[in-house]
Amino acid sequence: MTVTVGVDVGPTSTDAVLLDDTRPVAAVKVPSRPGDAIGSLAAAVEELPADVRARAVTLAVGLRVAARAVTERSGLAQVGVLRIGGAAADTVRPLFGWPDELRAAVCAGVANVAGGSGLAPLDGAPLDEAAVAAFGAELAGRAEAFAVSSVFSPADGAQERAAARILRERAGQDVPVLLSGEIGALGLIQRENATVLDAALCVLVARVADELTAALPGLGLAPGAGVLVTRHDGTLMSLDYLRRQPGLSLGSGPACTLRGAGLLAGVGDAVVVDVGERRARVGVLSGGYPREAAPGEHIGGVPVILRFPDLLTVDAAAHRDIAEAADRMQPAAGRLPVVLVGGGAHRVPDAALPGCDVVRPEHGDVAGAFGAAASPVGGSCERIVRRPDALDAVRDEVRELARASAVRAGADPRRVRTVLDPEEYVPYLPGAVLLRARASGPPAPL
Amino acid sequence: MHLDAQALTDFARGCAVLGSGGGGPVADTLPVAAQAIEECGPVPVVAPEELPTDALVLPVSLVGSPAVAAERIGGRGEAGRLAARVEQLHGRPVAAVMCGEIGGQNGCFTVSWAARLGVPLLDADSIGRAFPRLDQNVLELAGLSPFPAVLSDEYGRTVVLDDVDGAFLEELARPVVAVFGGRAVSADYPLSAGQAARHAVRGSVTTALALGRGEDLDPVLTGKVASVQRPGDGAASVLLEGTGGDAGRLVVLRARSEFVAAMEDGRALALVPDVIALIDARTGWAVPVEEVRYGLRVRLVTFPSAAVWYTEAGLRLAGPEAFGLAGLKREVAP
Repeated sequence: MTVTVGVDVGPTSTDAVLLDDTRPVAAVKVPSRPGDAIGSLAAAVEELPADVRARAVTLAVGLRVAARAVTERSGLAQVGVLRIGGAAADTVRPLFGWPDELRAAVCAGVANVAGGSGLAPLDGAPLDEAAVAAFGAELAGRAEAFAVSSVFSPADGAQERAAARILRERAGQDVPVLLSGEIGALGLIQRENATVLDAALCVLVARVADELTAALPGLGLAPGAGVLVTRHDGTLMSLDYLRRQPGLSLGSGPACTLRGAGLLAGVGDAVVVDVGERRARVGVLSGGYPREAAPGEHIGGVPVILRFPDLLTVDAAAHRDIAEAADRMQPAAGRLPVVLVGGGAHRVPDAALPGCDVVRPEHGDVAGAFGAAASPVGGSCERIVRRPDALDAVRDEVRELARASAVRAGADPRRVRTVLDPEEYVPYLPGAVLLRARASGPPAPL
Repeated sequence: MHLDAQALTDFARGCAVLGSGGGGPVADTLPVAAQAIEECGPVPVVAPEELPTDALVLPVSLVGSPAVAAERIGGRGEAGRLAARVEQLHGRPVAAVMCGEIGGQNGCFTVSWAARLGVPLLDADSIGRAFPRLDQNVLELAGLSPFPAVLSDEYGRTVVLDDVDGAFLEELARPVVAVFGGRAVSADYPLSAGQAARHAVRGSVTTALALGRGEDLDPVLTGKVASVQRPGDGAASVLLEGTGGDAGRLVVLRARSEFVAAMEDGRALALVPDVIALIDARTGWAVPVEEVRYGLRVRLVTFPSAAVWYTEAGLRLAGPEAFGLAGLKREVAP
């Protein structure tokens, strides 16, 4: 029997649940303490029954600190933004199109140096190491973190790693350097934007991770219990992974609520309505996981490559808007059940959703915490393959990289399962396909 | 008329519609054009008649894979280098730039070149929509030569193709683009303003702007994507289920890089060379074939493309049979 504690630190209340395997043993709700995520978490966890809590080996947390920092432009680090592409990749400059005050809040300086890779070695150019060194020296003491984005780094990350080494030599070994290649998806501008946000968040997230690590022994869990945090696809990751890619936690609140709603209702495919104090969020579960929004996501006005849950947000008091959103989110074939969760769900009567199979699961008011506690650790990888004869080998490699990413995120290496997404053809590049694999597994044991 | 930062978004939205689901995502080249206009000023848009008849027009298009171009976003110096090579080959200056392909991401890409070269953009283009092959354009139908065709990458590596016909251009350009790593800029079918006035698709830029403002878009169907099948190699089949007033209707879209057929009850509602676009009901933007997914709320919009595509030669080059739609024959327009 594995006991898990799940916590969802929301803007108004902090929810905690205790799971014995998949069975909810206890659920509590306490008011959140503004600006003190870890204090809110501790207050909620202490309300859980001490005897069962003492057997908990995993604490799974939705912190939501990253999302708040971006929208409120607070606690963001000053970032040195380095692009590797130079004059061959300057038709859109770094941070182009960012809202002025967000750019001012995160930008310590920008450089675009020669270099970059491609689908084949000949497509790229050598890295201008001297220019990287000059940038590092210029920003030493001013940049709290660096974001490095090189052309085609998801296919070949060597230049990003070399640049990181040079930046640390010049600007200090302790300065965090975040690499866009770790995000893995193609699309230079959106990947660079996501990496800059990661870098801007990493100081704040590191502080919260330190606070959480320090608070852990006092929470009354099993000795040596591990901590995992939620991410945007409804899976979990370790604190070390969060430090490297804080942006993965953006959108994790709604993702976990969707997952929790489905698990509590016992359905894998459903429309989920999460009714809060002021807003209601409507999303869709497909196979137990949130349906992703179409490409072209924005955070704080900035286009990013991250994938978020597909959501419609409406006024919680406007029942007609809720009904219309729920209807719009219904996929075409068949009518999925509508799962109503959240603190305000009781204020939306069944009659407000005419013709819908409305499900109100027990503990629906703490669906986010439940989703955190009941989710696996996740990872993914994607790669463009040009040579059909190499497909089998690359398929194995992509699966293995997805598996490795899940293990790095804290999954039990022996129990990770990988799934290859349907291969996507790459338009106007004959013979090429996009391979994407996802991996998930339970947390590594103590 | 000038294309400025405000008009650019409408233009891009219209180009997405004209892409008929193909031509690459406009979101990738919209910021390229926005930055070029910010740095070099708004782009004058002129009719071909406004230029001297022998003025040299440079038709440009980004060729290869949009996925590669999303990564290799190109350099600001690319336009000047390629134009200089073209001017050297012709012995006269480039007077205007024309979209090689108005549909999809090439519209905004070409705007950025006009801005950077400091020349007007012709209110015309070579296709009137998006097509996958380099020789699937109306200049080929008019019997213009594609050479000298100049292809270059963002490092200035350049290939000049001489004495090729359209089919040979396509055969030669593809491996060149592959060696360039899946992305190149092509300036092919060079022409004079007088030839553009006679043979190019007229008014393409103003058409895109009007479409982008939402004019002339009565949907054939309002509904949801009920299923998407991708048997491979770019082919896709999309089942649309009508909603609201269209409840009970089922429409199947077939795609090969672009949407090429919209079928209802075994009857073709629209067939290539018609433009067939799926508009995302939430965003108002046309959805590329590769981004269509289950559950999406859409409006289906179709309309005819340039009249020359409905001639016998036009249909032979880019009609249903050219896209492997055996048995779906289009009548030659009277």
